Amino acid sequence: MIPPRRITVVGASRLGCKFASRAARAGHAVTLIDEHPQSLARMSYDAPYFYGTALPAALTNENAIAQVVLESNPALAECFEAGVDLRLGAVAWGAFQNGPNARHIGIPKVGLIEGTGNSLVEHDVLALATGMRDFVPAFAGSNLPGVFGVKAGVAFLDLYQCYEGERTLVLGTSARAVDFVRRAVARGIGIVGMVEPGPGFTAGPEAAAEIAALGIPVHRTSTLVSAEGRTAVERASLRPVTGGGDLVLDCDTICIAIGVLPNIELPAAMGCRLRFDAGAGSWLPETDLTGRTSLPDVFWLSDFAAGEAALAPALAAIAEAGPTGRLIPPPETATGQGAYLRFWIQTMRDAGGDAVTLCKCEDISRADFLGLAPPPYLNGGLRHPHSPVTGTGGTAPRIQQDLLKRMTRVGMGHCQGKRCRDEAALLLSLRFGIGMEEIRPGSYRFPVRPVDLAAIAAEDDTHDTREKWSYWLHEPEAMQSRPDGVP
Amino acid sequence: MMENFDVIIVGAGIVGLSTAWRAARAGARVLVLDKGPTAYEASSRATGYLSLRGETPEESPLAQAAERLWDGLDEELGYPTEWTQKGRLWAAITPQAFDALQITFQSFQRTGIPFEFIDAKTCRELIPALTPHTLGGIHTPRAGHANPQRTSQAFAWAFQDLGGEIREYTPVLDLLTRGGRISGVRTPWGEIHAGSVVLCAAAHNAALLAPLGIDFPVAPVRLEAFVTAPLPPLFDQAFIAHGLAIRQTRRGNIHVNGGPHEWTAAGVATEMPKPTTPLVRNIARRLFEVFPTLRHAQMLRSWAGIIDVTPDQITIVHAFDAPKGLIAASSAGHGFGMSPSLGLALADLALQGRTDMPVASLSLARFADLPQDWRRIWNWQPGSYNT
Ligand SMILES: Cc1cc2nc3c(=O)[nH]c(=O)nc-3n(C[C@H](O)[C@H](O)[C@H](O)COP(=O)(O)OP(=O)(O)OC[C@H]3O[C@@H](n4cnc5c(N)ncnc54)[C@H](O)[C@@H]3O)c2cc1C
Repeated sequence: MIPPRRITVVGASRLGCKFASRAARAGHAVTLIDEHPQSLARMSYDAPYFYGTALPAALTNENAIAQVVLESNPALAECFEAGVDLRLGAVAWGAFQNGPNARHIGIPKVGLIEGTGNSLVEHDVLALATGMRDFVPAFAGSNLPGVFGVKAGVAFLDLYQCYEGERTLVLGTSARAVDFVRRAVARGIGIVGMVEPGPGFTAGPEAAAEIAALGIPVHRTSTLVSAEGRTAVERASLRPVTGGGDLVLDCDTICIAIGVLPNIELPAAMGCRLRFDAGAGSWLPETDLTGRTSLPDVFWLSDFAAGEAALAPALAAIAEAGPTGRLIPPPETATGQGAYLRFWIQTMRDAGGDAVTLCKCEDISRADFLGLAPPPYLNGGLRHPHSPVTGTGGTAPRIQQDLLKRMTRVGMGHCQGKRCRDEAALLLSLRFGIGMEEIRPGSYRFPVRPVDLAAIAAEDDTHDTREKWSYWLHEPEAMQSRPDGVP
Repeated sequence: MMENFDVIIVGAGIVGLSTAWRAARAGARVLVLDKGPTAYEASSRATGYLSLRGETPEESPLAQAAERLWDGLDEELGYPTEWTQKGRLWAAITPQAFDALQITFQSFQRTGIPFEFIDAKTCRELIPALTPHTLGGIHTPRAGHANPQRTSQAFAWAFQDLGGEIREYTPVLDLLTRGGRISGVRTPWGEIHAGSVVLCAAAHNAALLAPLGIDFPVAPVRLEAFVTAPLPPLFDQAFIAHGLAIRQTRRGNIHVNGGPHEWTAAGVATEMPKPTTPLVRNIARRLFEVFPTLRHAQMLRSWAGIIDVTPDQITIVHAFDAPKGLIAASSAGHGFGMSPSLGLALADLALQGRTDMPVASLSLARFADLPQDWRRIWNWQPGSYNT
């Protein structure tokens, strides 16, 4: 008999739902947390999906939306039937367990915000299945309503069923871009074209033929320069990567389908060891083939790791409750996405230049980022130019992205770098000729979403945290009577 | 090739960087070594106050020397520190806190700094957003705050502008001595020699000094902090109330730190984990108990930092007689504000063996009678949690 364990699954991704329902059917007490359906206020943070500045009016009816969201995901119904405790529209803002220099957490727990209140949900095992987020590089006009990421686009189309757009331009030709086109076409939305900086079609010849049959033009060896419009997207300018004149296309929406990156904020902020995966073009938690991370009883389930193949072994590992062994990483992601993202950024930077706003929260350009310029509110510069390359290499990182964060504020704004941090790292890599793996990524911090103080505040203070709260190390009385033997 | 410097500084925190800049300015060949990146520990995690040390008047002269140096530091370094000299206010919002403030005030009055006990109305004139429950406070128009990350980096860049070198990810594993003098340090990549070595490795100093038979009494402790999203200007004083240090940054974020803290241990060169805990929920609640308008401010990011605390919470500046040329410092949890004068004192000691800075009473001599197991007596041992 397997002793049932309390398992918290964060993320109702495909893997998260599957794992939750299987674990529940295996007799475990499972809680599944997902931040969707998001309230309008939360969607406006562009995390995890990049919705951009236009949020359809239909979203204001949050109850109707919640219903649609439930009905559009049969995997959730499956979880419900299996007896999973579903916490939807709930933000897992942090996860905590005892470890070095934090020995008073007690039972491992997830910090949860639901509506206007919060709680700490205890578990024996934590499974992080937080899925993927949009990768959205900067370009002139990227702040215009009508620009969104492919995950947000699919959410508008299918999850929330409130897509607003009739003539959409799609950036990228990956399988995910093609998938978006299929869904959009099925709903009668016009696709004015697809843009591809390379000579080919990333999703392969069959997909290319399908797109051709739909009569959708593919602009090869072209990149995006800018979006234009008075109050929303009206046009997009493309430029051949080999040089030459711009092509201006009429469109009302731009779907950025260049790539998606794993949501690693929770494992990273918890302190799971990370490794750079060149195939994915991202840092990933180190896992073994069961999805086990470097932290005890914390699993990471992702299509960037072993994917579905990890689910059964993960359940078996949980049943054994064995100690964490040596991690044997799954093979590197073979998507080639890393190189693709890099190529896009290189062509967009060549075409758009460094005056483009890189960090939308703090309004900082690529040039000011790369030059470590103090942010505008300081009205000043540096006495002498300084390079962000501080390390000489070997086993040590050569660039600390945190240094750039601190000095330029790129990644310090309300999105906490969710929109710009990956492009920022790529820019550093391109500009200074330094491998991505030699750039220590900016640190991840809790809460992983911005949260109202009133929502996150403890209403359950213990006597110690309420009455005995100390400022600094002593209460003043204690200062007056220092222990004997001390001057 | 054997490398040779006038001064090696162990630790690229704000204390080490300030010392390095001063020493380089005096013409010395200086090398700074750190086990990790520049200013990645306490120095980039502090609130950013200059405390004038009313709590420990013994070291107030050094803090006041720092205050004089803070003015004009931006121009001297050539990089912005966000120094804001708008005074400091301690407010009480509960009767217990009010009583405690009155005791604190007695200590403050021993400093000669113009501290004034003010009533609730005056507190709320200074900071209108304060809760109506405010009962009174202590105010001084002096002191101020700055951005710890910018200030640390400003020292680093100013030092590099003078030709100084900072070597990251180069831990010092051992101190080398010859004939009663310090002769250099050993790193994983070999020995580096210098006539003088200054230990600015915070709590790690103790582990570096232990093999020389020297007891360096510091205890590391982990503290938590967070910032909110930027807000319109609310106040610009260095502010303390309800067990929290609360500062509004130039950018507009509310920066808050305080509360229970966990004692830890420091090895020679291992990075200490700095996890945050659900404590931010309690800090959040206290924050809007002080500033009711912040109820709907948004928490953006939290972090923890580790500081080195001395038994009497007073700075240590010590130049050893044996081995000669070795100097060690601990800033006892308020090294950010103190860094300009502390660095000056340490650089003087390294280059001339003496200093005009008021540090004579800050040596290790005061701990002659310290019991061996002071950390146990204080309950400051690794794992104990102060509430
Ligand atoms: C939350 C918080 C709030 C604070 N608020 C304030 C405040 O408002 N005002 C104030 O004055 N102070 C404040 N402090 C304290 C202040 O941050 C510290 O006193 C100050 O930063 C100490 O500077 P440092 O250079 O001595 O130490 P650190 O910044 O810790 O630097 C020590 C350096 O030594 C390096 N090192 C260690 N061992 C080795 C080795 N063997 N070899 C090479 N390098 C080594 C470390 O990597 C590190 O970079 C606060 C601290 C915290 C955590």
